[in-house]
Amino acid sequence: MRAGAYPAFALTAFQSRLAYRNQVWASAFGELVISFAFIAIWTAAFAGQVVVDGATLPEMITYVMIAGLLYWNTDRLINDVGEAVRTGDITIFLLKPLSYPASLLATHFGHYVFDQLVVTLPVLLIVGFSVGLLPPASLFHALMALPFWALSWLMLFTLGALCGLLAFWLLTAFALEWFLKGIMALASGAIVPLWFMPGWLSGILGYLPFAWVSYYPTAIYLGKLDPPATFLYFGIGLAWLAALGGFLAWLWSRARHRLIVQGG
Amino acid sequence: MLHNITLIPHLVRMYVRTRMEYRGAMFLAWLSQGFSYGAMYATIALIIARFDNLGGWQWPDMALLLAFHLLAYSLGASLSFTQFRDIEEKVRLGTFDAILVKPVGPWTFLVFSGLNIGYGGHVILATGLMAWSLTQVGLAWSPLLVLYFVAALISAAMLTAALMTMIGTTALVWVRSRHLFSIFFGFWELARYPLNIFPAPLQMLMITLAPLAFLAFVPVAVILGKPVPLLGAWAPLASLAAGPLCMLLAVFHWRWCLRNYQGAGG
Repeated sequence: MRAGAYPAFALTAFQSRLAYRNQVWASAFGELVISFAFIAIWTAAFAGQVVVDGATLPEMITYVMIAGLLYWNTDRLINDVGEAVRTGDITIFLLKPLSYPASLLATHFGHYVFDQLVVTLPVLLIVGFSVGLLPPASLFHALMALPFWALSWLMLFTLGALCGLLAFWLLTAFALEWFLKGIMALASGAIVPLWFMPGWLSGILGYLPFAWVSYYPTAIYLGKLDPPATFLYFGIGLAWLAALGGFLAWLWSRARHRLIVQGG
Repeated sequence: MLHNITLIPHLVRMYVRTRMEYRGAMFLAWLSQGFSYGAMYATIALIIARFDNLGGWQWPDMALLLAFHLLAYSLGASLSFTQFRDIEEKVRLGTFDAILVKPVGPWTFLVFSGLNIGYGGHVILATGLMAWSLTQVGLAWSPLLVLYFVAALISAAMLTAALMTMIGTTALVWVRSRHLFSIFFGFWELARYPLNIFPAPLQMLMITLAPLAFLAFVPVAVILGKPVPLLGAWAPLASLAAGPLCMLLAVFHWRWCLRNYQGAGG
């Protein structure tokens, strides 16, 4: 199949979400409530202190909002793979002249764009106008935040797809989804940035791929890394992505040869 | 009524047996959910470790709040969440009609034929964390406090079950209701934190329209002797009444929805 056919998967995913309007406003409302909760949590934590570990309260509010934008829910991706394995629908994909991981990437990119435009963007605007969000630290940091955003999305997709493919061996995706959720809560920096963690912990988490999902892109946006460090961490992130992408390709090559379809 | 009650052990036994056929997957799910909640609580512990407290709550107080929240939620949700979340699918496919003609009350059948034992991981983590936190907070135990603790936990579990029942049952008249769970879980997440850190309108909302403050904050604040915003001295009584009152409301809602159920069309 030509690469040009994959955008159709993204478009279909985007359009399919338009059909569930109630889900959209409910998700946006839920997201808004959680956003204000996190703002309240950090406001209470700072309790009048102006700067803690080099970060101010407005920076932390911007941090939680941007980090939330970057950390998308991988449940749908892992569930899709798990359901395809459980029901045997995966065989339909194997018969098609397409790469299953690539079709997943296109489909979930469509879902991501939909969520950003319809759920996250309105929430960001409301928070921006009511509480206030900081602009990027400089033009350099603004420009570098964009490739870090792309890297973040690809990293989380790869991690989610790896968890999903493990369902070929475990025959359940439910537990994998929860394991990834737990790891991401702590290691991605989406809730607590690495600069608030003890040195030994941030030293470890700072070199694991999960930190490239939320922590580094947001830290770049806020100007917490200077230009040489920005390029260095971008390079390390690319190396992680290449390694995880290679592992995903290898796992997929193994998974499709050990497929068991019950009752077939 | 008696017939319904005698059927309950059979319904539960049947469901547990089906789940135990896949015990590897079930224990893995317990482990993964326990791990996930543990990681989330670790992030809260990190915030408190760095900032000393959150709205005047130290880590042992927060640990008790989180444990109470998780235990009350899992007890209530085991009787309601998956059962009423999936009601939408049953209405859409028409399989809910089959439940209506069974020689057993539809509520009894729905709740107990799907009694979710998947919350084992939640319960183990919550009781462990609760046991630890209770040794740290230095409570002056008395028979009255023990009684209040148990009653407040039951009330909070009833509150969870009632809210989930009402949300899920709405599908009988709206056909869809799953999206409403997104709103529930938004407030549910807030209920993990001390209510006093939120702005006043949100505090009011969490005590009235979305009464999830009664899930953990109000009872735990009463147990620890901390002030409860808006409720003050009424907090102990309100926390005990919230669950039964919401359950009563859920009963009326369930009956009203059943009376107005017309299927998904066709």
